[in-house]
Order: sequence, then structure tokens, then C-alpha cells
Amino acid sequence: MIFFENISKMYKPDTVALKNVSFQIGANGNEFVSIVGKSGAGKTTLIRLLLREEEPTSGKIIYGGKNIAEIKNKDLSIFRQKIGCVFQDYRLLPNKTVFENVAYAMEVMGATDYEILRDVPRLLEIVGLEDRAKHFPLGLSGGEKQRTAIARALAVRPEVIIADEPTGNLDPYHTRDIINLLEKIYDLGATVILATHDKAIINSLSRRVITLDNGEIIRDEEKGRFIL
Amino acid sequence: MFTFLRRVIRFGWHNFWRAGGLNVATVFVLIVTISLITTLFISEGAVKHIIAQIKEKIDISVYVAPETSNEEMEIIKDRLVEMPEVQAVSIVSKEDALEQFRERHKNDPVLLESLDIVGTNPFYASLNIRANDPEQYAAILEVLNSSSLDDIIYKVDYVEKKTVIEKLSGFITNVNTGGLLMALALGVVAVLVAFNTIRVAIYDASKEISIMRLVGAPNRFIRGPFIVQGMIAGAIAALASFFILLLVSYFLAPKIDAMTNGFNVFSWFKARAFGLFFVQLASGIALGVISSLIAIRKYLTA
Ligand SMILES: Nc1ncnc2c1ncn2[C@@H]1O[C@H](COP(=O)(O)OP(=O)(O)O)[C@@H](O)[C@H]1O
Ligand SMILES: [Mg+2]
Repeated sequence: MIFFENISKMYKPDTVALKNVSFQIGANGNEFVSIVGKSGAGKTTLIRLLLREEEPTSGKIIYGGKNIAEIKNKDLSIFRQKIGCVFQDYRLLPNKTVFENVAYAMEVMGATDYEILRDVPRLLEIVGLEDRAKHFPLGLSGGEKQRTAIARALAVRPEVIIADEPTGNLDPYHTRDIINLLEKIYDLGATVILATHDKAIINSLSRRVITLDNGEIIRDEEKGRFIL
Repeated sequence: MFTFLRRVIRFGWHNFWRAGGLNVATVFVLIVTISLITTLFISEGAVKHIIAQIKEKIDISVYVAPETSNEEMEIIKDRLVEMPEVQAVSIVSKEDALEQFRERHKNDPVLLESLDIVGTNPFYASLNIRANDPEQYAAILEVLNSSSLDDIIYKVDYVEKKTVIEKLSGFITNVNTGGLLMALALGVVAVLVAFNTIRVAIYDASKEISIMRLVGAPNRFIRGPFIVQGMIAGAIAALASFFILLLVSYFLAPKIDAMTNGFNVFSWFKARAFGLFFVQLASGIALGVISSLIAIRKYLTA
């Protein structure tokens, strides 16, 4: 369902972030794919291209059979609602409680109050934050913030969850938590794309791994390991 | 649509009360702006009062020939009163004039003595004319001179007062245009400051805006709460500056009364409270909303 076809991305003063990258995700149902590589390898750039926050310098990205470059600006928000995102810095709205942050994603896509009251508690239960519903992000631990972000990403029932270094700010204990949660989401039927440079995570997962180095794919293996 | 509005209002409300700092700054700047605009209205009222006071004090006297009878004076008075330019006419008889002179110089025995020496009443009877507007005296005199009254009129003191009257007319016009220009300039400055504060507040929120977009919020969902926030800030600022000015005018009323010779700010304020509050509310909300809209535009492209 996701194709990257010969994607290259250059940033202005001849920085090459991605070089002729091609791959395919989700050909046979949902997948759990890790994208690994040193810092600066191009992982975030790849994700930003998929979300159409950046335009590729050359190449095509096909999502669900459509070239995403052809999505009109006004339909962009609808497109992004199909993809749930999780980032290293959580990106929660500071003036909203945990409950409201999760509900927000549903509210903006026009979910009814009934659906929100039905789904949000369930999502908070999945990520184990039922008792933090009324807390503001400022008072939460890193792990709790990230679980809130994941619950929010799940709220729109996305086909794909993208997590860019979701454990970058977390200790090993909470890291394990988050990765377990992502596997649970995969088991529930979503495609998960996990970008990380955490060796321990990758080696414990034994799932597909795409390895980037200097903007190029140097390895793409089922049940891959972290080798650089 | 109803759900959308309800949510947008709730988001704006939450953002306003939970964000603290910059909203306080915004409200503060709006209070200053709105108070300034209102103060300009009040000063206009005060200036009008002062000008009216001065106008009250200007008149011209038409002295009539000694042999003119009281009936003739009444006829002239009636004619003058009919003119649209004339506000009031009063007759000062010879006796009145003498009485006024004695009253004015009662501490000057030499002068009074010399009156007694003259033996007769040396004063002329006169008509005091007050025009609606100082600029109209010339027209009134025109009529007096060209009419059949000419031989009855002994002397008009307009020539002596002419320069004063003309200067005053000029002064009043200057105060009016000058005041208007100053009000405009101050208003523009205040509005720019308010715009800028709100722009900074929204710049501060640019990270949040990018999060909202990331979660898939359509533009109207991002813009809406900011507009609501602007409205809340404007309304609160209007309310605050209304009560601040009400208090200030209450406490300053005696001072301003003395300074302006009888302009009571507090009663002036009370008499117009409703209209003033409406102006404050409207300008507060308009400022808040328009500057929110302008400031946020740049974060909503694409
Ligand atoms: N906005 C940008 N402008 C210029 N260069 C950028 C920008 N974003 C990323 N880069 C460069 O592109 C390369 C890849 O960055 P990135 O995709 O963030 O790597 P990663 O996420 O794997 O650490 C780096 O050399 C980085 O400096
Ligand atoms: Mg990165």
C-alpha cells in the first residue's frame, strides 16, 4: 500500500538527505517495519516525505494507489488523518488534558460526542493511562506523555502508525513499554513504521528492518538485526 | 456545524484560561488601547464643554441713541430674536447700565464721585446679543446695519471685540481638527501595539499550530479557537477598562470639574455608560479578532 519509487531529497546547500530510495510496505497485509540508521541517515526526512510535510526532489510516493503529490491542499488534513504519528518530543497540546489531547484528534475529524466518550476511555485503557485522564502533559513522565501521544495517534483508527524515535527520551523500562504497545497495535491490524537508532529494540523485535546510511538503503531484511 | 462551533468555543476558552502569561499581556495591552480610545471620547466631551462655556461668555452690545424709547428697544429685540443666528437678546436700560457701573466700581470712590458730579446718567441703553456661534456675529451686524435701524444705533462694540471673536473661532476650529488628528494618531498607535502583542502570542503558539495540523485538524479548527480567544480577551479588556474608567472618572470628577469650569466627567460617563461600553466592547472584540486573523494567516498556508 505504500511505495517509495526512486525518492531523492536534497536540502538547499547541497545536503543530500535521501538518495534514490525505493521500497514497499504492506504488500501482504499490515506490517511492522523498522527503519534504522545513525542520526542524520535520513529517517526523519523519509517520514516527513510520507506525511507530505516535504516534497521529494525527485521520485514518487504512492499511498493506497495514489500519488500523494497530487493530493490537494484542502484534502491534506483528511490524508493525514489516515496516518497516526508519534514523535520523540511527544508533541502534545500543553493546554489540554490527556483525555482532551486524545479526544482532539477525533473532534477535528468530526467524530460525535458519543463516539468520543466511547472510544477515548478505551484508548486510554489500551495505553494504561485511565487514571491520568485529567492530568495536563506538564505533570506527566516521559513514558506517560508518549503513551498519550500513541493513544491520540490511535484515536482516528489509522491504517498506519508512524513512530519517529518514540523512545529517544525514555529510559529502558519505559522504552520496553512503548515498543510492546506498538506491537499490540500491529496485532490489532495496523501497519507500524518505527524509526529508531536503538540497537536493543531492533534486536529484540526480529521483524523487517530497513537500514539507511547516508540517505541510501543499504539493507532491507525480514527478521533483520541492527548492523551498521 | 453546531458541534463545530461548540468545540471551537470550548478550545478557545480552554486555551485562553490555561495559557496564562501571554493572554494576560494581550488583555493588558487591549485594556490600555480601549481605555485610550475611550479617553479620547471623554476629552472630546470635555473640550466641547469648555468651548460651549467660552461661547456663552461672548456677546456684542448694540448701544442705542439716547432718545430711543423702551418700546423701540422691544421692537428691535423682537426682530433680532427672530433671526436664526441669534440665541438670546437682553435689554440693558440706561438705569441698568448705571447700576452695573456702580456695582463694578463700588471700591473706587473717586470714580463714583465723578459720576455724582456729572449729575445725569451718562450711559447708553444697549441690547446684548448672543449668537449661536461666534462666527455669526458678522452676519448679525450686517442685518443691523442695512436695516432701517441704522439711525437708532449709536455704536456697536463689535469692532473692539472683533479680533477676540475671530481668534476664538479659529481656536475652536483648531481644537476640533487638532483633537481629531491626535485622536486618530493615538488610536492608530494603540491598535498597532495591540496587533503586535497578539501576533507575538500566536507566534508563541506556532508549535501548537503545527501539532494541530499534524493531527489532521482542518484550518477552520485551528483558526476558530484563536478567534474565540481574541474575542474573550477583547471582551474581558472592555469590561475591565469600563470599570477602571468609571472608577477613575468618579475620583477625578471634582478635579476635572474645577479645571474645566463645570465639566463633570462622572455624570458625563454615567449618561453615556451604555453607548461607551458598547464602543469598548466592539473595539475590543474587533481588535482581538482581526489581529488574531491576521497573525494566524501565515501559519495556515498549505
Ligand atoms: N530542514 C532541513 N534543512 C537542511 N538540511 C536538513 C533538514 N532536515 C534534515 N536535514 C539534513 O538531512 C539529513 C538527514 O536528516 P534526518 O532525516 O533528520 O536524519 P535522521 O532522522 O535519520 O537523524 C541530515 O544531514 C540533516 O542535516
Ligand atoms: Mg530523526
